[in-house]
Amino acid sequence: MTINLAGGGSTPRKVRRARLIPIWALILGAFVLSLIGTSPHYIGSDSYVVGLIGKFLCFAIFALSIDLIWGFTGILSLGQAVYFGIGAYMVALSMKLNYTLENATRYGSNIPDFMEWNGLTEVPAFMAPLLSTPVAVALALAIPTLLAFIFGVITFKRHIYGVYCAVITLAEALILERFIVEYQAYTGGFNGITDYSNLRGAPFLWVIIAVTVVCLIGARALTHSRIGTVLKSIRDNDVRAEFMGYNVANYRIFVFCVSAFMAAGAGAMYAAWVGIVSFLDAGPMFSVEGVIWTAVGGRATLIGPFIGTFLVRGLEFVLSSSAWLSWLSEYWQFFMGALFIAVVLWIPDGIVGTIGNWLRKRGTGTLSQIRDDQDRLAHDRQRDWDPAGGTKPGKDPV
Amino acid sequence: MRKVRRRSFLQGSGAALGGLVLGGGAPFYFARNIAKAQEGDTIKVGILHSLSGTIAIIETSLHNAELLAIEEINAAGGINGKMIEPVIEDPQSLVQVFAEKAKKLILNDKVTAVLGCYTSASRQSVLPVFEEYNGVLLYPTLYEAQECSKNCFYTGAVPNQQLDDFEPWIVANLDRKKCYMIGSNYIYPKETNREWKALLEKSGAENMGEEYAPLGHTEFSTVINNIANSGADYVFSTLVGDSIVAFYKQFKQSGFTAEDVPICTPITTEQETAAMGAENAAGHYTSFNYFQTVDTPENKSFVERYKAKYGANEVTNAVMEAAYFQTYLLAQAIAKSGTEADALIFEGLPGQEFNAPQGPVKIDEKNHHTWLWARIGKAREDGQFDIVWTSKERIRPDPWVDYLYPNKDCDFTNQSVLDRLKKPWSEEKNRSGTMDI
Amino acid sequence: MWQQLFMQCLNGLGVAGILVIAAAGLAIIFGVAGVINMAHGQFIMVGAYTAALVDELGGNMFMSIPIAFVVVALLGLIVERGVIQWIYDRPLETLLATWGVGIILEVTMKFIFGTLGRKVDWPDLLDGSIRIFARPPHFPYYRVFHVVLAIVILAVTFYILYRTRFGLKVRTVRRNRSMASCLGIDTAKIDMLIFMYGSGLAGIAGAVIAPIKAATIDMGFSYSVNSYMVIVLGGVGNLLGIPTGSFLIGEAETLLAFRYNTVIGQLLVFIAIVIAIRVFPRGIFGYQERR
Repeated sequence: MTINLAGGGSTPRKVRRARLIPIWALILGAFVLSLIGTSPHYIGSDSYVVGLIGKFLCFAIFALSIDLIWGFTGILSLGQAVYFGIGAYMVALSMKLNYTLENATRYGSNIPDFMEWNGLTEVPAFMAPLLSTPVAVALALAIPTLLAFIFGVITFKRHIYGVYCAVITLAEALILERFIVEYQAYTGGFNGITDYSNLRGAPFLWVIIAVTVVCLIGARALTHSRIGTVLKSIRDNDVRAEFMGYNVANYRIFVFCVSAFMAAGAGAMYAAWVGIVSFLDAGPMFSVEGVIWTAVGGRATLIGPFIGTFLVRGLEFVLSSSAWLSWLSEYWQFFMGALFIAVVLWIPDGIVGTIGNWLRKRGTGTLSQIRDDQDRLAHDRQRDWDPAGGTKPGKDPV
Repeated sequence: MRKVRRRSFLQGSGAALGGLVLGGGAPFYFARNIAKAQEGDTIKVGILHSLSGTIAIIETSLHNAELLAIEEINAAGGINGKMIEPVIEDPQSLVQVFAEKAKKLILNDKVTAVLGCYTSASRQSVLPVFEEYNGVLLYPTLYEAQECSKNCFYTGAVPNQQLDDFEPWIVANLDRKKCYMIGSNYIYPKETNREWKALLEKSGAENMGEEYAPLGHTEFSTVINNIANSGADYVFSTLVGDSIVAFYKQFKQSGFTAEDVPICTPITTEQETAAMGAENAAGHYTSFNYFQTVDTPENKSFVERYKAKYGANEVTNAVMEAAYFQTYLLAQAIAKSGTEADALIFEGLPGQEFNAPQGPVKIDEKNHHTWLWARIGKAREDGQFDIVWTSKERIRPDPWVDYLYPNKDCDFTNQSVLDRLKKPWSEEKNRSGTMDI
Repeated sequence: MWQQLFMQCLNGLGVAGILVIAAAGLAIIFGVAGVINMAHGQFIMVGAYTAALVDELGGNMFMSIPIAFVVVALLGLIVERGVIQWIYDRPLETLLATWGVGIILEVTMKFIFGTLGRKVDWPDLLDGSIRIFARPPHFPYYRVFHVVLAIVILAVTFYILYRTRFGLKVRTVRRNRSMASCLGIDTAKIDMLIFMYGSGLAGIAGAVIAPIKAATIDMGFSYSVNSYMVIVLGGVGNLLGIPTGSFLIGEAETLLAFRYNTVIGQLLVFIAIVIAIRVFPRGIFGYQERR
C-alpha cells in the first residue's frame, strides 16, 4: 500500500506495523464459522434464519462501507444506498433476464413481466449485455464506483463536505428512488424485481462470508496503512491536513470510491441472495438506516458496523413479530427512534467503542483518546525518522 | 504499554464477542422459542400486514378487519371447536421483509394459511415463497389481475368487475364521451387504463389524454392545467394514496365542479373522502363492489361492530370488507376440508360461499378469484356514497378479459393444469393456472 | 397554449411560495445554529395535525396559524433542550438524533390520531379562485395566499434579524460565536430561541399546507427534502437565499413538468442543482466561512 497521494516528498515509511488480522478477530471468526458450520439449524435447512444471516451480512458490508467514509474520513453520506441499489439492480436485472429466458413468466412470455406490462416486446438493446453474468457483475461494481468518482469530483474538489454533502447525497438517493419508480419498463418500478431464481442455501452463504472476510481485511489494511492515517487526520482536522501538504480532495474521492465499490458489492450479493430488489433498497431511508447501524455498533471500528447491523436488524425482526410482545408490534418503531437519540447522546462511540472505552478507562483513557494518542505517536515517530539520512531505530532503513 | 494493549485487545475481543452473540443470537433464540410454542389446540392463521412504514396507514385497517373477524369466529365457538390463533407479523412496508416473514410464518409457525399483503409489490414478493413451500395466501386488495397462482386466493376485485359496467353506464347516464385518464405511475393504473381504453373504443368514446403522476405526488396544478387544455368532459382517475386527496381538493379549488367535469374512479373510497373533506368529493363517482352504505343486514352489523371495536370515527371500505369476509371464507374452508394446504387449495376454498356485507360472494373454482357485486356510488356531502346502480347479480372475475387477451385464461379445474401442479416444486416451478386457449 | 403556459408560470410561483414557507424555518436554524433538523418534515406534520384539531373544534385556518406556531415552537423547545443542546458541536450527529426525533414523532402521532388522514378545510374567505381566463383552470385563492404568506414570513424574519436588538445578537453569534460569547451574549439562549422560531415556522407551514391535501402521518418527508434542496441551492448566508432557491426550483419543476413530466422535471432540477453547486459551493447567497 504505497500509493502516494500526497504531493511531493519522499516515499513515506510504514510507521505502524499492525497485524492484518488481529488475534481477537481470528478467535471471533473461528467461533462464528464453527457456530454456523456445525449447526444443522443454520446451514442446510432451508430456514428463514439462514436467509436472514446472509442478508444481514450484506447489510453489514454496506454499513462497513459507510464506516469507511464516515467513521474514518468524516464524510457523512446519506445516499450510500445509491451505490448499493445500483449494484443490486444490475445483478437482479441480469438474473431476471436469464431466468425469464429459460422459464416463461406468469404471463407466458420470455421477457420479464414488468417489461411486458409496459408494452415492450423484447429486451431493449442496451440491456443485452446484462445477459452475461460476468458483464453484469462487472457493471454492478463499475457503475457505482464511476458514479461515486464523478460525484466526488464535483463535490469534494469544491470543498463541499459535512452537512452540505449529507444533504446532497440524501437528495441523490431520493432522485434515484424516483427514477427507478418512474422508469418501470426497465426497473420494475414500484413493484421492484422479484421472482427470479436467487442463489440460496449453503454454497452462496459461504461466498458471502468469504467476501465479508475479504472486505474486513481490506478495510483493516486500508485503515491501518499510511493512507488510513491521512484519512483519519482529514476527519479530525481537514484544514491542517491540507496545510501539511496532503491533497485532501483526492483522498476523499479515493475513499469515497472504495466505499461505493464495497457498497455495490454488498448490493450485488444481496440481490443474488434475497431474490427481491425494490426501489427502497436505493432510497434515502435505507441509506440513513445504514448510518444508524454504524453509529450503534461503533464508528471508526471495523467490527462495529457488523454488531450494529445484527443488533438493530435482529431486534427489528423480533420486535415486529407478535410472538414476542403483541402490543408492541404496532409501536416498536418508537424504541428505534429512542435508540438513535440515545446512541448519539450517551454512546457516541457506539457499542464497540464504548465497551472499549470502559475496558481501557484505567489504562490510557477512552478509545478515541487512545486512537488519537496512537496516531500522534505514529506521527511523532515518523517525524523522528524523517530527517535525511536518519535510520529507523534498530532496523535497516526501508 | 504493550502488555496493556494486548490485554485490552483480549478484553475487547471478549466484549465484541459478547455483543455479536447478543446481537446475532437474540433473534435465533426467540425464533426457537416461537418454534417450540406451536403445538396446541388452536388453528394458526398468519396475518401479514404492514403496521409500520409507508403503507401502514392503509394496511392497519385491513389488519383490524381481519382481527375483528377472527374475534367473531372465536366468540361463536371457533372452527369445529378449535379457536383461531392469529400470528401477527409486521413486514414494515418492505418487500423483502414480506418474503422473509412469509417464510417464517409457513416454515416456523406452521400456519394453516396467511391473510395478508396490500400492494401488488408485496404480493409478488411473497408468491414465490408460498408456491415453493405450498402455503395458502388470501389477498384482499383490488388489483390489476393477469395472475393466478395455485397458492393464492384473490378476494379483491379485478378490473373487469369494476370497469365493464362502469364505462357504458357513464356513456348512457352521464352522457359523457370525452375522457381524460390520470393515474399514479405504476402497474395497476397502467393496466386499468389499458382496459379502460378498450372499453372507450367499444362504446365510441374519445380518449383525450393519459397522464401518470409519481406515487405520492400531491402537486396537481400541472395536471389540472393539462386536463383543462384537453377539453375532456370527465376524468377517469386511478390515483392512489395521498394523491387522491390532493387531486380532488385542487381540482375543486381550480374552479372545476362535479357537474361540469366529474371524476370517475375505481379506487376512491370512504377513507379518502373522509380525509379530503366530503364537500370536495361530493358529486364524483366511484365504482366498487362495496360501500359503507350498502343496504344489507350483514353490512349494518359489520359496520356497527367495526365502529364499536375501533372507534366511531372509523369508516369501512371495500378492501377492508374483503379482508373481513376472506377470514370467514377461510374459516369455512378449514371447517370443510381441514388444515392441510392441498386440501384447502383443491377442496376447501374453491367454490366456498359466504354472505358478505356486500352480498353473497363466492370463490371461483377455475381461477381462484372471487365473484363480487358491482356498484356505482355518487359521493354525498357527508362523505358516504349514494349507490346509484347495482349489478343484478354478482360478477364473474376474469383475470384475462376476453376483449384484450382472447387467447389466455386460467383454469384450475383443467386436468393438464392439475397434473402439472401435482408435480413437486423441484421439478415444476410453474404454479400458475394460466393456459393458452 | 399561451394561456396554459401563463397559468403554469403562476403555478410555479405558488409552488415556490409553499417551498419558502416550508424551508424558511429549516434555513434559519441551519444558518444560525448550524444544525440541519431532519425532523423538520415531522414538525410540519405536527403543525398540520394541530390545524386539523383546530378545524375539528370549529376554528378556521387563521386561528390555527398562531396555534400551530406556538405548539410546534414548544415542541422545538423540548427537542432543543432535550437533545440538540448537547450536540451542537457535532453537526453530523445532530442529523441522526433529529432523525430519531422524527421517527418518534411519527409513531406518537399515529398513536394519538390513528391512521386515518385528517381533513383540514380552507376558511370560506379563501375558498374559490381568481378567474383570469374565461374557462378553468382558474387561479385558486390559496395559491395567492401562499405567496403572500411567504412574503410576510420573509418580511417578519427580516425585521427580527435586522431591525431588532435580538436580531443583532443573532447575527453576531452567526458571524463569530466565541467572540459573541466573550462579549456577554448568551449564545445558548440565542440558539434556543432561533430553534423555537424555526420550528414555529414549520408549524405554520403545516397549518397552511394541510388544506391543499390532508394531514397524514407521512406527509413530512417530501417537504423536508425539498427544503434541503432550497437551502443547498439558495444558501443561508443571506435571507434572500430562501426565496431565490424556492423560486428557481418551483418554476423550473413546474415548467419542466409541463413540458415533459413530473419525474423528469425533478431529475433535471436535481442535476441542475448539482451543477450549480460547482459554481456556488455554499449556495447562491452562501456565507463564505473563514477557513
